[in-house]
Amino acid sequence: MNHHLVLRVVSKLLIPFILLFALYVQFHGDYGPGGGFQAGVLFASAFILYALIYGVDNAREVLPPKALRFLVPVGLIIYALTGFASIVMGGNYLDYDVLAHDPQHGQHLGILVIEFGVGTTVAAVMVTIFYAYAGRTRDVDDEDW
Amino acid sequence: MFIGATAALLVAMALTLIRAFAGPTLFDRVLAANSFGTKTVLLIGVLGFLTDRPEFLDIALLYALVNFIGTIAVLKFFRYRNLGLSNTEAADREEID
Repeated sequence: MNHHLVLRVVSKLLIPFILLFALYVQFHGDYGPGGGFQAGVLFASAFILYALIYGVDNAREVLPPKALRFLVPVGLIIYALTGFASIVMGGNYLDYDVLAHDPQHGQHLGILVIEFGVGTTVAAVMVTIFYAYAGRTRDVDDEDW
Repeated sequence: MFIGATAALLVAMALTLIRAFAGPTLFDRVLAANSFGTKTVLLIGVLGFLTDRPEFLDIALLYALVNFIGTIAVLKFFRYRNLGLSNTEAADREEID
């Protein structure tokens, strides 16, 4: 897509802001609309845009599938460990009240950490799915349609 | 005033939908889908103020970004029949055409 100058320039300008907006949705999700899943999808959509414009092979160098295979379980482990942390600190599984001295702060902290885990996993899974679809398609000829 | 704007937007969205289904060529349909997405962004914004929840603007912004990416994906797929082509491969494909 080398000759699509407008597309390349606009995408280059837009990608950092998409990432920034994803982080905003992630960490402001407890006050406004948003949360882990939405932020993860948005974060992944920035990489998908990069892959669309510059090709999946270049995107694989930016975000290697090995790192994705590592990030998918890491988000889940963050989620699970938060639950176990609240057990260790004397509450039920995922009982955020005990995570800090003040129950309200505990709720805030717990939801923030959990949403971060969800966001990590969702972003990694979305990019993995895109790689799987876009990277392995065989070329379609006009006769196949 | 917001109710009037919402009604006007819904009418415009219905018109773009008609174009999307009736459009004789692929590009009419893509353009209609894209402008339907833009109308959706506006509708979410207006609905946010109609229901006194201006934080809907965040969702509208998000929808604008994703709509842009979706349109590029559809156009790239129908131009090159492959979503993952890189610059050089796409250039080769252009020469064959």
